[in-house]
Amino acid sequence: MFPQKRRRRYVSLAAIGTVLTLAAACGSGSGDEPTTPATGADAEPAGEITVLTWRTDLVEDGTFDEYVTAFKEKYPDVTNVKVEGITDYEGEVKTRMNTDNYGDVLAIPGSVTPDQLGDFFEPLGAQDELGEEYRWINDKSFEGLSYGIPVVGNVQGIVYNKKVWDAAGVTAFPTTTQEFLADLQSIKDAGIEIAPLYTNYKDSWPLTQWDGARGAVTADPDYVNKMTQTDTPWTDESDSGVIDGLLYDVVAQGLTEADPTTTNWEQSKQLLGTGKIAAMVLGSWAIPQMAAAAEAAGASADDIAYMPFPAQVDGTFHAVAGGDYNLGINVHSSNKVTARAWIDWFNHDSGFSESQVGLSPLVDGPVPAALQGFVDEVELLTMNAAPAGKESLFADIDTASGIVTTDPKYRQKIVDDARSGSRTKEQVLTDLNAAWAKGRAEVGS
Amino acid sequence: MIRAATSTVKYVSLVLASIVMLLPIVLIVVGSFKTNQEFLTTGPFTAPESWTNVSNYATAFTRGGMMRGFVNTVVIFGVAIAGTILIGAATAYALDRFRFAGRRGVLNLFLLATLVPGVTTQVATFQIINWLGLYDSQGALILLFMGTDIISIYIFLQFVRSIPRSLDEAATIDGAGHLRIFFTIILPNLKPAIATVVIIKGIGIYNEFFLPFLYITDPDKRPISTALFAFKGPFGSQWEVISAGVVITIVPILVLFLFLQRFIYNGFTAGATK
Amino acid sequence: MTTAATGLRGPTTAADTPDARAAREPHPGGTGGARRRRRLVPYLFLAIPVGLLVLLTYVPVVNMFWYSVTDWDGLDKVKTFVGADNYREVFTDPDNVRVFWVSLYYFVGSFVQMVVALYFATILSFRIRFKNLWKGILFFPYLINGVAIGLIFLNFLRPAGGLDSTLTAVGLESLVRQWTGDPDIANVTLAGVSVWRYMGLNFVMFLGAIQSISSEVYEAAEIDGASRWHEFWFIILPSIRPIVGLSLILAISGSLSVYEIPKVMTDGGNGTETFVMRTVWMAFNRGMVGLASAMAVVLLLIVLVITWIQRLVLPDDEVDLA
Repeated sequence: MFPQKRRRRYVSLAAIGTVLTLAAACGSGSGDEPTTPATGADAEPAGEITVLTWRTDLVEDGTFDEYVTAFKEKYPDVTNVKVEGITDYEGEVKTRMNTDNYGDVLAIPGSVTPDQLGDFFEPLGAQDELGEEYRWINDKSFEGLSYGIPVVGNVQGIVYNKKVWDAAGVTAFPTTTQEFLADLQSIKDAGIEIAPLYTNYKDSWPLTQWDGARGAVTADPDYVNKMTQTDTPWTDESDSGVIDGLLYDVVAQGLTEADPTTTNWEQSKQLLGTGKIAAMVLGSWAIPQMAAAAEAAGASADDIAYMPFPAQVDGTFHAVAGGDYNLGINVHSSNKVTARAWIDWFNHDSGFSESQVGLSPLVDGPVPAALQGFVDEVELLTMNAAPAGKESLFADIDTASGIVTTDPKYRQKIVDDARSGSRTKEQVLTDLNAAWAKGRAEVGS
Repeated sequence: MIRAATSTVKYVSLVLASIVMLLPIVLIVVGSFKTNQEFLTTGPFTAPESWTNVSNYATAFTRGGMMRGFVNTVVIFGVAIAGTILIGAATAYALDRFRFAGRRGVLNLFLLATLVPGVTTQVATFQIINWLGLYDSQGALILLFMGTDIISIYIFLQFVRSIPRSLDEAATIDGAGHLRIFFTIILPNLKPAIATVVIIKGIGIYNEFFLPFLYITDPDKRPISTALFAFKGPFGSQWEVISAGVVITIVPILVLFLFLQRFIYNGFTAGATK
Repeated sequence: MTTAATGLRGPTTAADTPDARAAREPHPGGTGGARRRRRLVPYLFLAIPVGLLVLLTYVPVVNMFWYSVTDWDGLDKVKTFVGADNYREVFTDPDNVRVFWVSLYYFVGSFVQMVVALYFATILSFRIRFKNLWKGILFFPYLINGVAIGLIFLNFLRPAGGLDSTLTAVGLESLVRQWTGDPDIANVTLAGVSVWRYMGLNFVMFLGAIQSISSEVYEAAEIDGASRWHEFWFIILPSIRPIVGLSLILAISGSLSVYEIPKVMTDGGNGTETFVMRTVWMAFNRGMVGLASAMAVVLLLIVLVITWIQRLVLPDDEVDLA
């Protein structure tokens, strides 16, 4: 089924430090048998696997227990699926990936660069083959092999409380960032308890969601690839400049929460639901969570709606559709057959993507009703993969520049500067460009 | 006159300090008895509607895994403390009762190590722990707790000096070997040092956050401090439950403190001034 | 067990025979074999402690120096030598330099903490009512778990939380701030929480030292007509100098290794990132073990230099292990 698998694993093992291989030989893993090769159809899923998830809320409310029960019904030989919910998912999983111990099935952290994929994850199949069945696998592919399958598809935009916007007299989607700022201001003037826009600064990962608008601003599916070709990606017209400039402006104009260090993700869901905040920049995956929180707090789930990033090209909104977290298999897993079965089952049979109001990761999957309205008004685009041989160029520059766009730290700093005024917006963008240029020079592109 | 004035200043300052020390704790206790709605709508000083509302405690205990956290902490503490005592006493015994080549060097090795703050070397220690195959196991914590505790060794060294050598010599004349001397004479006479180490170390292990945060990821293996930390995410909108979790971690240490006050104070002053 | 192999016979087997006693005689009169065995004994007792010391302290320190001149990412088989590049980055990247300044807040905080602790230790060493109650209240916070303390203060300092309400109630609304949100005071707030946590330890250590002063000294002073202030200045302070010196060392390494309170309370946001937080983030999240090691080496050197200076200034400090 996966002809290149075996060779690939030896290559990846060789690429990992001796320390790690030694540790593996010591048997630090939880497996009680030597690595079972994932021989596909002839091996039946059995035994035990560990699944790492970022959805602590679904672990908490028992949804995952139901998934596990259903999975075990389908594969009676599976004795246990241990689900670990991790709050600081990116940070903690990245630390664990310094060892062999990072579960059997896990969502591939965003900061793993394409060229590292093979060191950490088992290839799931050839990119072109898998591409016939699944959408959005380009991100987590390298040299023709795919390492992860998205659990659900998202569109990227802004989740908002319709009732609050209507009450402030704003009924049409803002078409420019200026208009967006003006709208937020009128919401503020109409009186809002916490803030028109909530950054979730303290939990910090929501700040990385702003990247979802990259490509949508200029309707350019190659935008991210083009960033590797310029020393100045942060201009007034470029996607990055518009996005981070908007973040600076909303904060500087006092349209966000007064004290960002006391924000709280779980609470922000309630606050949006009850209209104490009016909007948050988050992927469409957030809609069902916000709706549920609204209902739990005694408000109406119907108040939660979704709008595109405030920018138009030729009078049309654009939004990037793409995979949410991609599930992958730990290359050190001792039970890859079951791990693979979990991924396939999760995508086909679990009902996860429907329950999350996402686009199905399956090529012929349906568009959920809740998003149909948004999809009608907004043109969706899918970002293009990096050209062959340059898969990790972006990540290399990103790391060398010290900006690390996959890490929320640089946006936290933008918020800090916008609040204190210690750097102007122009200075922020200039500094980002300078760092990026330095990164490019170091990587030698 | 002046005496009376200074006396007033004394008491006023003590009362103020007590308020500063106790108020934050009292408020978290108050919060832990509120319902979710109450917590959001009433001020921090408003008393909860019902002081017998223990549902937050039940939630914290059952869904926050606090019990498992306690058990894990006790296990880690038990093994690590036994190891620390044996290691500390053995080192002290060897260094104080014997003169041998390299003694000075070993002493200096221990002395120099007191200057290296443990947290600074974790970048490299992590690789060692991983190489030993101990990542995500309580063994990692136990090893680090007992293998890097130079203060305890130092305390044992101070105490071992005060055990009269005549005791060893008498035992030797009776035909006791070094192991027997160690176990029947040195260790029992080190009781005060052991008490000191148990207390200092016990509090240190109970409070340790950095090491379990770095080395233990499996929720079933977490000690109490990271179990409490893990609470923060999923219960972020239920501060009344978080408050209950905090109180649960404070109560055992408060009870121990009330019963063992004198030993605890002595432990710290002995550890510091010896 | 190792004992049998090395001739350290079990105590029950040969304890009664007179020649066995002679063989174990530690004095130079014993046989050559016994002396050789005796020479081995301390090494056997030290094998595990020194082994662990080397494995868990010295090997990491040496490795750290080695990693710090490479570009190692924690995984790669190859560690490319990059010379002083990492050190240059430690001192030129403003985000790295900032964490050094952040630790100054905690360092200043620990001075405040020592002064407050000394004050209370002094007044509680004299006759006073409810002595044990005061002592218990001042000391107890030190026993609370650091994560719990972070959460307690998140609750206490949140907008309209305990502190804000208290200030409003006593008519000091003007002092209400965004305690962690205002970039000018966020670090002061966190250092304050740290003082709250550790003051009790200093206090108990100082109190113990003061109480170990013999009462005759006070009586003699009283006959000489010394005031309380004189007693403090000429009797108490000199006698607790070693413990103050020790606290000072602890304060320095403590303020450079602050972790859990800012981790729980702000997670490093708003300019509150500390040295350890940044090092851990760099090493494990960003995979820059080389750079993180360079930071750790710099930290280690700072601690060593400051300790050395402290030794010069307070040479009588009790640190003689031998």
